[in-house]
Formats: sequence, C-alpha cells, structure tokens
Amino acid sequence: MTPPDWSVWDVLLTSAVETLQTTIAGTFLGALFAYPLGVLAASNWTPVWVHLPIKAFMAFVRSIPLLLLALLFVSAVGLGPFPGVLALAVHSVGVLGRFVAEEIEATDPKPLLALQGTGASSLQIIQHGLIPQVLPQMVAHLAIRFEMNLRDSTILGLVGAGGLGFYVFLYVKQFQWQKSGVLVLAIIALVFAGEFAAWQVRKRLI
Amino acid sequence: MPKEVVIQIEDARVEMEGRTILALDHLEVSRGERVAIIGNSGSGKTTLMRMLKGYVPCQEGKVVVMGDVFPIKDTQKMKTHHRHIGMIHQHFDLIGRETVWQNVYHGRLGYVSLLKSALGICSERDLQICAQAIHEVHLEDKQRRFARTLSGGEQQRVAIARALAQEPTILLADEPVSSLDPALSEDIMDLLVSVCDAYELTLIMSLHLPELARKYADRILAMKNGKIMWDGSSDSLSNDRICEIYEFMGTNGVVNGNGTRASRSAFTWPYGWQGQPLPGG
Repeated sequence: MTPPDWSVWDVLLTSAVETLQTTIAGTFLGALFAYPLGVLAASNWTPVWVHLPIKAFMAFVRSIPLLLLALLFVSAVGLGPFPGVLALAVHSVGVLGRFVAEEIEATDPKPLLALQGTGASSLQIIQHGLIPQVLPQMVAHLAIRFEMNLRDSTILGLVGAGGLGFYVFLYVKQFQWQKSGVLVLAIIALVFAGEFAAWQVRKRLI
Repeated sequence: MPKEVVIQIEDARVEMEGRTILALDHLEVSRGERVAIIGNSGSGKTTLMRMLKGYVPCQEGKVVVMGDVFPIKDTQKMKTHHRHIGMIHQHFDLIGRETVWQNVYHGRLGYVSLLKSALGICSERDLQICAQAIHEVHLEDKQRRFARTLSGGEQQRVAIARALAQEPTILLADEPVSSLDPALSEDIMDLLVSVCDAYELTLIMSLHLPELARKYADRILAMKNGKIMWDGSSDSLSNDRICEIYEFMGTNGVVNGNGTRASRSAFTWPYGWQGQPLPGG
C-alpha cells in the first residue's frame, strides 16, 4: 500500500463528504422514528400489547446485519448513497429505540408522582418531568449512534451503497493498492474525528 | 364558633393485596390545625397521607377531604383535589436537571393550560406566586441553580416552595426531615410551621421523633398496624405517655409485614397517565 498515491485526492474528498452525508442523513432519519417508537416501547408507560410488539420489531431490525440491509436496499432502490441512508436509518431505529425505551424505564418515578401531585396533566408531566430527566442521555446515545454509523457507513460501499468504501473496494479490485491505502487512511481519520465529536458531546452532557 | 372541618374520616379501610393496611374509626381535622403522626415504620402513616392525597383508594367507609367525597371518579376533579393538597416528601422528589425556579413553577402546572406551559408563557400572577414562594423559603439567590446541585436542606426548601406555589389548603409532609441532620431538621421544621402560619395551611406531617412532634405540632396521632392508638393535644403527651405509646407500638425494631408492603407500594409507578383510572379515582 505504500507509498500512498495522493492523486486520488479529489475522489477522497467527494467520497468522504458522501460518507459523512450518508451518516448524518441515516442517523437523523432513524432518530426521527426511533424516539417516538422508543417512548411507545417503554414498558412502564404503555400497556403490554403496545410495547411488546414494538420491542420485538426493534429486536428483529437489530438482528439483521447492516450489510445485509444495505444489500436489500441496493436491490430495491439502486446503487448510490440513498440505499446506504435507508440501511443506516433502519438499523438506527432498532438500536436507538431500544436505548430510548430503556432510558425511560430507568427514570425515577417519584419526582413524576410529585408532579402529578401538583395537579399537572399527563402531557405536562412528560414535558416537565420525564423529558428533563432523559434528554441528556438521549442526546448522548444519539452521539454514540452517529459515531458508530460513521464507522459502519465507510464499509457500506462494499455492496454498492456509496461513500469511501465503494472506492476502496474499487481500487482493491484493480490492485491499485497505493490509491486504496490513501482512502483507508481517510477512513481512519474520519472515524477518529467522529469519535472525538461524540466524546465532546458526551463530556458536555453527563 | 366551631372550626371548619377539612378532613373527615369515618370507618375507612384501605386494603392492598387482600390485607388491611389502614383502618380508621374516626378522624376529624379542622382548618389550621398542626397534626403530627408518629409511629413505627409501616404503621400506616404514609398510607394515610397517600389516601388523603388520592393516590391510594379506600375500600370502604366515608372520607371527605375539603368537601370532596372519596372516591373521586372524575379526572378533572382529581386534578383540582391534587392542587388543593400540597405534599412534600422524604427524598424531596424534585426534577434535578431543572432550576430551582422551574421546580417551584411546577407547582403552578395544575393552573396552567398545556399550551401555555409548553410555550413557557407565565402569567404575571404565576410569576408573582413563584417569587413569593421562593422568598418564603429564602432561596432568592439560588433560583437559577439546578436543583440537584443544592444541599438536602435546600432541596427540601425548594419542595416546600413548590407546594406553596400550588396555593394549597392542606399541606402533607411525609417524613419531611428524615433524610436531614438534626440541626437542619429544626430549621426545616421551623420553616414549615412558619409558612403554614403565614399561608393559613392545615399541616399534617409524619415524624419519626416524638420530640419534634411535641415541639411543632399542636395535636399528635400515634399509629400502629394501621390504627390510630392515641389522639390528643401535644401538651397532654407527657413523657410517661410517650413511653407507654412506644411500648405498645413496639420498640424492638420489628417492622410490621403489612407495613413494609405498604411503604414499598408507595414507590410504584403512578398509572394516572396510562389511560387507566387513578388509584382512588
């Protein structure tokens, strides 16, 4: 792989940006569905016939490997970053939703009971009692999920779902090791930056 | 002129899982009284308070609190009932990640519509009531701090301010000083009694220490196994009497089985916002 061939600089930049965009879109699209589903999956807030099926659904989604999801979406919507976004989003729903549910289940009910005792309505109790208790953890989980999705999305290219991984795979197939080496370095730098960002968010919140 | 009766209980029984944990023959509390309930853990002190608050249903008998006849079926009526009865707890039960001011404002939630509380719109009157409540507990300089950063005594003062912001008629204090050290306990008790005088509240508190009860209450109830064993003015509670009461209440530290169950149930999730009826409602 040495010496690195820096002539792929422009490919590197565009594909790194694509990977980052895929990650951001996938994570937030997933979070959009994960938060409401997670609330419904909390066993202390919803009856068993609501939270059990949702929990089962999320466990099912989690159990499908990300690459397999990406393969499914590539065959469904075609090559490019879009199937990558969908794969990441679906996977994130399974993982983030579970975190949300567990966070809500672990909240201390006594302050909420005290709020009920002031005459507050259910939605007011959620707004003033539950959300302040779980919000920092939720944002921290989102940051961790973003970091992991960034790592995962770099290899989504293997199955044709865009990003850095696609070009790594392309150059490896052409035995252009010097070029693929540069892209691998870029992946390492990107993952490292993602970890640093998530760590900063966690440090500030907890 | 006879005093207005705010709490009236006749032959009330509270059962949980088939066991009777509270059996009260007769209890009347007038407006402005300061009542202390003493008794061992599990004697039904907390259950009595939770019943008055409407958290625990009473199976039979007559219970009338502030003109509301139990059980209260209507949700709206239950909210109004909750509003009229302020309650402070042993572990303060504040929202730690909100500021002191926000925690006091929570006492106003029963008066504010969801839309207004969601948008953070406070009326002039709400602001005034919160400011007065914070002034009453001397926390003006800490109102922007997060509640969890405060000491135990300060947190209990925030809880008192929150209860005051509700504009209650009755204040229930469930072991208000049990998690505080003795010096702080006296401070909090002094504060509690002075705000109850200032706001003309009826105070009902459960206390572990008979000395505190004698010092701060004008009437004392002694409970054992869910029954009231002694009811009288705190002046008439002589040292001999305390020994007598604590003898038949059992000082050997054996916790009553029913009672353990009752106090554990005090921490279960309230089902009020699951679409299921409130306990007692």
